[in-house]
Amino acid sequence: MSERQVCMIGGGMSQWGRRSASLVDVVQEAAKACFDDIPGIKRKDIDGFLFASSYCGRNPFQVNAAPVMAERIGIKPLNMCSRVDTLCAGGSSAIILAAGLVKAGMADVVAVAGGEKLYTPQMWEAYYSEMASIDHDWDAPHGMGLPGPFFAMTAKDHMKRYGTKKEHLALVSVKARRAAAVNPKAQFQKEVTLEEVMKARPIVPPLTLFDCCPITDGASMTILTTPDRAKAFSNHPLVYIRGTAQATRHSMSANWPGEDLADWVHMRTAVKRAYEVARVKASDIDVAQTHDCFTISELIEAEELGFCKKGEGGPFIAAGQTDIGGRIPINTDGGLLGVGHPFGGTGIRQGMEIMKQLQGRATRQVKGAKIGLTHNLSGLNVEHTVLVYGLEP
Amino acid sequence: MPIPGIPVLEGKYFATMDFYPIEAPEFNRISKFYENLAQKKLTTTKCKKCGTTPFPPRVVCPECNSDELEWVELADHGKVLNLSEEVAGVPLGFEAPLIHAIIDLGNGLRMLSRIVNCPAGQLKEGDEVKLFVFSIPPMIMDIKEGTKESPRVFFAFEPVKK
Ligand SMILES: [Zn+2]
Repeated sequence: MSERQVCMIGGGMSQWGRRSASLVDVVQEAAKACFDDIPGIKRKDIDGFLFASSYCGRNPFQVNAAPVMAERIGIKPLNMCSRVDTLCAGGSSAIILAAGLVKAGMADVVAVAGGEKLYTPQMWEAYYSEMASIDHDWDAPHGMGLPGPFFAMTAKDHMKRYGTKKEHLALVSVKARRAAAVNPKAQFQKEVTLEEVMKARPIVPPLTLFDCCPITDGASMTILTTPDRAKAFSNHPLVYIRGTAQATRHSMSANWPGEDLADWVHMRTAVKRAYEVARVKASDIDVAQTHDCFTISELIEAEELGFCKKGEGGPFIAAGQTDIGGRIPINTDGGLLGVGHPFGGTGIRQGMEIMKQLQGRATRQVKGAKIGLTHNLSGLNVEHTVLVYGLEP
Repeated sequence: MPIPGIPVLEGKYFATMDFYPIEAPEFNRISKFYENLAQKKLTTTKCKKCGTTPFPPRVVCPECNSDELEWVELADHGKVLNLSEEVAGVPLGFEAPLIHAIIDLGNGLRMLSRIVNCPAGQLKEGDEVKLFVFSIPPMIMDIKEGTKESPRVFFAFEPVKK
């Protein structure tokens, strides 16, 4: 008997941004958009549910959130109903786990939702709570919350070692905002110019406002099932999850595994493993959604994914190679920089954009895309997650 | 009728909102680290069986599984390898610019730390820094008769005056 395969068949997201809405509100919006996207599927068809969220335990002070969300959405899973937390990669972790459940025959139709409510009635709490997202006893007491300082030092190491320029970083942001401007669910609906990005106010030099992804409220939801069930539910081409990997080798910053902060050895481990499992190489990838939490991240990710040589991320981006029409379009929907980053919702958004690209129905379509991937890093760059999707299993 | 909610928390200690460790020996098995730190010594655990010396300290050796560990002292001076000065988005209680550095403490240990007692724009790569220990708000914990204050310390690094 051949192994069961697993497909992502459709999905949707709430409006992302600074929302006048609660976590259960945006999750319901995402579920509506998901069911609207797959008219053939009914709530009663869902037999498994995973909910990716990190800050639900802080705001709205709700742990064991999966049954809450399942009830509000109106689904009654009987095989699995659980919350997943790997911070920025939560949505991708949930997709990997759902794929495993379907492949193992432990569930047939799994809804994967994720999202966060990060804006609190007083803004200080949003920043303060970020200190829970890194190694609590050892890094947080140094006032390390939002990881801007760590990525500023990463950018400085890359600049020093490879001659990367501030303009290279700025171009990542210009590209993201251009894509987000035509994405109605994105947090930012306005393009920015290179000049505006270069002159933006500093956050932690060399990173300025447009180098950093925003704080975001929002949710997304997708559905994974077997190819047979997928064909019954939807007429879109089948999109298979071909291979996945999630690698970590340290938590506290003192145990950083690279030569310097621009050397992401743990990401290379995850990439190599995902390519092996998916039976692909870097040159096979037609479109990618990578974790552009900061502009420098996307630049280094293009290198560690093997799309360009190590150290050449800056010139690669400046030459338009990561734009539509270039060697490897990256973050075609606007990425974290343009669409926003409600942690548990992000991996699902990325997966859905790749799914739409392969199904030929993306807003900014990459012609003839057959294989795509998503990538997340988590926390203070301590974990890397890669999923490879394809039109063939 | 009293109305529960945020007002009833006034004067209470919020362990769930604290970014400092709970250092009291009643709440962890590495409280010796904090006792040593109060003596201005940065320490960690070394495995008596295989010699592995990880940071942060452990209660079980991650290499050989032994739980026979001893405390050893780490360097209290180091050299700045990289630094950042955060001007926006600094967490409540910290002042901008909030300075962080990666410090080479020797023996392969590179530590990320806050830099204190340092004016903005002064710190450079290669600068010498030294351990700085300071008191942090005590933890209020339950005892038989009410509550007690358990004192706490934490560390940062500061520039060595030239
Ligand atoms: Zn040992």
